[in-house]
Amino acid sequence: MIVANTLFTRLVRNSPYLLIALLVVPVLGGLLGVLLPAFGWFPALGANEFGLFGFIQLFNTPGIERMVMLSFGTSLISTLLAFVITVLILASYFNSPWLKRIQRLLGPILVIPHAAAAIAIGFLITPSGFLSRLVSPWLSGWDVPPDWLFPHDPYGLSIILGLTLKELPFLLLIALGVLAQPEIGKTLKAQHKVASSLGYCPMTGFFKVILPSLYGYMRLPILAVLAYSSASVEIPLILGSNTPPTLAVAIMQWFSDVDLSLRIKASSGAILQILITLSLLGSWCLLELLVKKCSASFLVNGEREYGGMLIQRVTHLITTVMLSVIGLALVAMVLWSFAGFWSFPDLLPQQLVTLHWSSALLQMQTPLFNTLVIAISTTLIAIALTLFVLEAEQQNTKTISAISGFIIYLPLLIPSIAFLFGLVWLFEQVNSQHAYINVVFSHLLFVLPYVFLSLANSYRRLDPRFSTVAASLGVPPSKIFWQLKLPLLLSPILIASALGLAISFSQYLPTLLSGAGRINTITTEAVTLANGASRRTSAVYALMQMLLPALFFILAWAAPKLFFRNRG
Amino acid sequence: MKSQSMSSLKIDNLQLSQQGKLLLSLNEEVKGGEVLTIMGPSGSGKSTLLNWLVGMLPNDFYANGELYLNQQIITNTASHLRNIGLLYQDPLLFPHLTVEGNIAFAMPKGDKQTRKDEISEALNQVGLAGMEKRCPQNLSGGQQARVALLRVLLSKPKAILLDEPFSKLDSQLRQETRQLVFEQIQRYSLPAVMVTHDESDAIAAQGKVITLDALSLNKAAS
Repeated sequence: MIVANTLFTRLVRNSPYLLIALLVVPVLGGLLGVLLPAFGWFPALGANEFGLFGFIQLFNTPGIERMVMLSFGTSLISTLLAFVITVLILASYFNSPWLKRIQRLLGPILVIPHAAAAIAIGFLITPSGFLSRLVSPWLSGWDVPPDWLFPHDPYGLSIILGLTLKELPFLLLIALGVLAQPEIGKTLKAQHKVASSLGYCPMTGFFKVILPSLYGYMRLPILAVLAYSSASVEIPLILGSNTPPTLAVAIMQWFSDVDLSLRIKASSGAILQILITLSLLGSWCLLELLVKKCSASFLVNGEREYGGMLIQRVTHLITTVMLSVIGLALVAMVLWSFAGFWSFPDLLPQQLVTLHWSSALLQMQTPLFNTLVIAISTTLIAIALTLFVLEAEQQNTKTISAISGFIIYLPLLIPSIAFLFGLVWLFEQVNSQHAYINVVFSHLLFVLPYVFLSLANSYRRLDPRFSTVAASLGVPPSKIFWQLKLPLLLSPILIASALGLAISFSQYLPTLLSGAGRINTITTEAVTLANGASRRTSAVYALMQMLLPALFFILAWAAPKLFFRNRG
Repeated sequence: MKSQSMSSLKIDNLQLSQQGKLLLSLNEEVKGGEVLTIMGPSGSGKSTLLNWLVGMLPNDFYANGELYLNQQIITNTASHLRNIGLLYQDPLLFPHLTVEGNIAFAMPKGDKQTRKDEISEALNQVGLAGMEKRCPQNLSGGQQARVALLRVLLSKPKAILLDEPFSKLDSQLRQETRQLVFEQIQRYSLPAVMVTHDESDAIAAQGKVITLDALSLNKAAS
């Protein structure tokens, strides 16, 4: 395509370089900023010699094996559980209207920040939580809260529960997204029909025909989930044990310790974290290979029915339990946020008061303002840049290269705890002391990939003939972009913006680190309060965390309808 | 082979309607080895008829009448228990299985070696000898169509439905494949129902032809 050489087209043409730079420089720079101290080079402390003492110190830390095991175990088990339940739900409700209903019920959970989800689950399973109140005293005989360790159990079961419940909706939505793609979905459904006409019961047909193909499309998202959960901080911080915590949480504590000499150990820990994440990804691929080898003969043995009814019943049960857990956790949180005096084992508080809300809302003003300013600036930059890059794609009439496509997801695949500390060091090197700008910059690393992911499909699918027609009418590229494409894409742009805002709202570690602890947002406050004294205030903050993204998603959904109301 | 000689698919006083509007009515019996051809423009209810035959009628349709397969009533049998094979215009081979795997998938359970031998022999007969381990994606269109045919036949169906089975093949290939399919239907003595747009398919089938038109007034002709 021949493109006129105007300021607009030059700007557009160069935008992909900016995008790549914005993502690569901080991540690689951040990694470097961790790698150097990890091997002993930390001039600020007078450590100028390379060596392995950081690692020696790390491996001498009491409980280090448990930290590694906890990180490895919780993420592998939770991802496995989330994947298995996703597959069971798909297999049991394939071709059933329930699939859509479950999707609608689980969808909103996607935008609930990890911290809020963890707080909600904590309310449910804590000794004086909703769960033990539900069965007390009529069933359990408990008059005082039971003496169990949930949450904060040493085996990480609470962490697994939290991670699984957060990962499941994501994987399910990815799978449904694949099935909704016209080409793939239609073929898979037709193949399922073929299996059915060959005498396969629907469940066996799903496992033998759909799953092997569908899995190929789900592999990358699964690996991303695995990588994320291995190094996530919020859920283990709120639901995990502290003796010892997961490696990621420990690293965070070492980094933020007043004793600066711990920085070297923390940096070595960050390198270990990357190795753990890599070995998890490797283990998953190995597991996948093993399953493939073992199931090869099972696929073609001609068996048409494997207790499908039983599996279906088990799935009904799992789905019901899961949805109830989520529902109860939400109810518990709302109740706590309004609770006056609430003694155990009463199911409901004795009185409901709005005091917690009114006082929390007063305290919340600064964090709320920070949250909104940061999220809106980050999202605006992300949306503008994404649109320009996608426009550049169309002007060059080819999609961005595979390498660039991979780079966009880089910040999601590399454990953020590993490069964020280096990034802070990088900010110090370039003497960037403006905390707001630093925070926006680091949020951008996580908002950009999601905004790109969300917008790319709609932009690429826009009928190219619209632009061709406009160009043949003598309309310049800039006008086509502003006055034709953007209005046509209003809905997806708004949804992507809401997603970007939601991602920014939920960031904990980037805010904490890049803001040097000086910038409080709803999320950082919620995490701080989660293990604090007032469960009621904590509930208000966690609910705010859920309400904010919900509000913007509703706005994004409703705004186009209001705009175009008059068009009939 | 007594049971095979008696094989038949009987559509007994079928009336298919959508939202109270009659779409088509049909009363036919197809004997083993015969092909009943259904022709008609799109919207005439051809695919609805096929969906009813395999037991996948969408909810907004209503059917009255019975379906007999080998004198047994199967009107309300679940689709995967009907023993009615389907051949589509797309071969719809499973991409994660080899040619051999695709056919083995369809065959009844049994001894591994016996099944293997049966597959090799069948591939041999349709000119695909030695292709067991090939990936279906690497086969030509005609080869894929033949594997899809073998997959249906070796699943030992009691009847077979052909849904525009040759429409994606070019004319030379079309004739060859068509001949092969009809030969095999006769060889296995299967009652067959074919839906097609193409006059030449109907002629080659040498069976009864029913033309549905959009107004659901069915004309029968031989």
